[in-house]
Amino acid sequence: MDAIFNINPGILLILVGFAAMAIPVKIVRHSLVLAAPILAIVLLGQATQGQELMSADIVGLHLNLYQVDGLNFIFALAFLLAAILNVIYAWHTDDRVMDGMAIAYAGSAVAASLVGDLMSLFIFWELTAVTSVFMILKAGTRAAYFASMRYLVIQVLSGVLLLDGIAYVYKKTGDLSLEAFTSLSEPGAMFIFLAFGIKAAFPFMHNWLQDSYSKASVTGAVILSAFTTKLAVYAFARMFPGQDALIWIGAIMTCFPVFFAVLENDLRKVLAYSLNNQVGFMICAIGLGAAGVGNALALNGATAHAFSHIIYKSLLFMSMGAVLYRTGTTKASELGGLYKSMPWTTVFCLIGAMSISAFPLFSGFAAKSMTMSAVGGEGLIIIWGMLLFASAGVLEHSGIKIPYFAFFAHDSGKRVKEAPFNMLLAMGIAAAICIFIGLPAVVPGLGYEWLYNLLPYREEAMSYGAKKLFTLDHILTQMQLLVLAIFAFILLKRFGLYPPEKPGVILDSDWVYRKAGFGLANWAGTVWRKAGPAMTAVFLGVSSRVYRQIERAFSPRGELSRGPLTGGMAIWTAVLLGVVLLLAFRNAA
Amino acid sequence: MSDSGGVGRDDKSGKFVKRATQSVHDLNTPGDDKVHPLAKILFGWTEMKGMGTIIFWTMLVLSVLLIAIDLLVDRHDYFGFANMTGFYGVWGFIAFAFVVLMGWPLGRLLRRDEDYYGDASGPPDDIDPDIDPALLAEAEVGE
Repeated sequence: MDAIFNINPGILLILVGFAAMAIPVKIVRHSLVLAAPILAIVLLGQATQGQELMSADIVGLHLNLYQVDGLNFIFALAFLLAAILNVIYAWHTDDRVMDGMAIAYAGSAVAASLVGDLMSLFIFWELTAVTSVFMILKAGTRAAYFASMRYLVIQVLSGVLLLDGIAYVYKKTGDLSLEAFTSLSEPGAMFIFLAFGIKAAFPFMHNWLQDSYSKASVTGAVILSAFTTKLAVYAFARMFPGQDALIWIGAIMTCFPVFFAVLENDLRKVLAYSLNNQVGFMICAIGLGAAGVGNALALNGATAHAFSHIIYKSLLFMSMGAVLYRTGTTKASELGGLYKSMPWTTVFCLIGAMSISAFPLFSGFAAKSMTMSAVGGEGLIIIWGMLLFASAGVLEHSGIKIPYFAFFAHDSGKRVKEAPFNMLLAMGIAAAICIFIGLPAVVPGLGYEWLYNLLPYREEAMSYGAKKLFTLDHILTQMQLLVLAIFAFILLKRFGLYPPEKPGVILDSDWVYRKAGFGLANWAGTVWRKAGPAMTAVFLGVSSRVYRQIERAFSPRGELSRGPLTGGMAIWTAVLLGVVLLLAFRNAA
Repeated sequence: MSDSGGVGRDDKSGKFVKRATQSVHDLNTPGDDKVHPLAKILFGWTEMKGMGTIIFWTMLVLSVLLIAIDLLVDRHDYFGFANMTGFYGVWGFIAFAFVVLMGWPLGRLLRRDEDYYGDASGPPDDIDPDIDPALLAEAEVGE
């Protein structure tokens, strides 16, 4: 009996996902994929923490397949909630592959976060790549096809690097448990760091995200937004807490996407840049939080941020998905005035926007403040300034740009239907969670305290919440930041200084492989096509001429075998051999 | 969404339920102008004449107010300079304005044609099957 309860909920979801693909009846399939994550939450809730609950031995390796603790519990819970929202959001569709792969993808992320050794992590790490590619591929467009192939290559590269790192670790220590690295110079650490970095979309490794999420299907983009990057955040929190390099990488990640988000016309791409920026906050916090004794506030900040981020980012992607579903586009230059047709979607989008911008009483406020306090507490002035700058940037692209250009701005004249009921329901639930987490704990244990209770360092979180969260200082400073930034927006708009939304592609570092690399490969191909035959011809010509020369000289009909010399040569050779023989005998005697 | 049931059925559930379902139905069914009735209630005010000016002044007053409150509060921040009156407001204003204004030169530097990578294509397959073809045609032109 215990064995049934002690199955890793992620593995359950993966099995259900593959089974669902074989079920032709829509209502049965949908009910199954909805019931699975709900059951998984129950399983996760009753799991005993801190011990190995499921294991397997394969080719001499011991795989610890299920071990819950304070850190991975909250990530798995957030993934499962997102999975439920995704199923409701996609209720109107009827696509066996999408339904099955979506829940298997969610399951892979859950399973990867709940395993207890590196090799198991690798297996589910790769499975997230393989299952998620369908979210993009299923969009069915040419652009989506190419994007999904690029996505797959990059994701699999991450897996290969991870496996490489694991091999080093195994060779050195013979132990694959999830022991945090203390330094990047440990064997294998750098490989694993890079593998995680690709999935977390570190600067210069980030473009797979904008490239693929914006080309994914309507429901696919929502599903993608929840899992891969946050799994990487969890992996960093597990393996590299307190790694100094992460502080700077995270801070840079929060800042640079802000500039791209201003330029970008495709609102789903804007959200992808915004995702980058949000993950930056988490990475930065993880860099501060040393394992065990270290900075509990920072690790709490990272996990709280990840949890609320998964919900509000889903909400924002869902609202843009609804717009895409009804209008066929998410380009800001073609949208505007949609509040007239989609008021519910508008309200939900605004709640997501206010949550991500960290308005007091919304989830971002309760989550992000811990990271800011941790950075401030460490006295890192420049990092703190960068994060504060990025906070204003979040307001710009996710808080204002997304809702403003889609639902307000100048009226595009598009009059469409409100989003389908199931989409509104999913958005409504997500919006309710965003507000619920952000509220003060009027009833103890509810509001922000509900979230803080789930954090890895619970007591520190609760004391922080009681002392620092809803203080006049904190609310005042946050409102100042937001209100004056909004005022800047109004001012810039009024004086025509806000850059207009223009159609176009914004160059980013993916140019290196999509244009320069592709161009180089193309050029090399063309050169080879032209040069190849020419070189073959030259080689053939030269070699046949050489052969003819050799043949003319040495063959039986050749130059050297003609004339009296040949006969004389034989005699002279015999004479010389005789002389050598005689000399040899004399020496021997 | 649009028909929450009950309307037009044999009324056995009493007047109240019938009236409630009727009003929910009305609230979610666009009229002849194709504007969602709820939209008029929730966001109709944004279309009012002179609303731009009203919002501008409201935000200005709110900004001044927040800085004024800061004068009265003795804050204890992690850094000395952050205790300056209105520091967060000024930082937010400058950061926001800088990001947006950088959009001009960066746009000129980085924006390329829509089909720069040669893979421009329409919307994904799973959009609303009943979508107005005119909307899609418009999107195609935009490509």
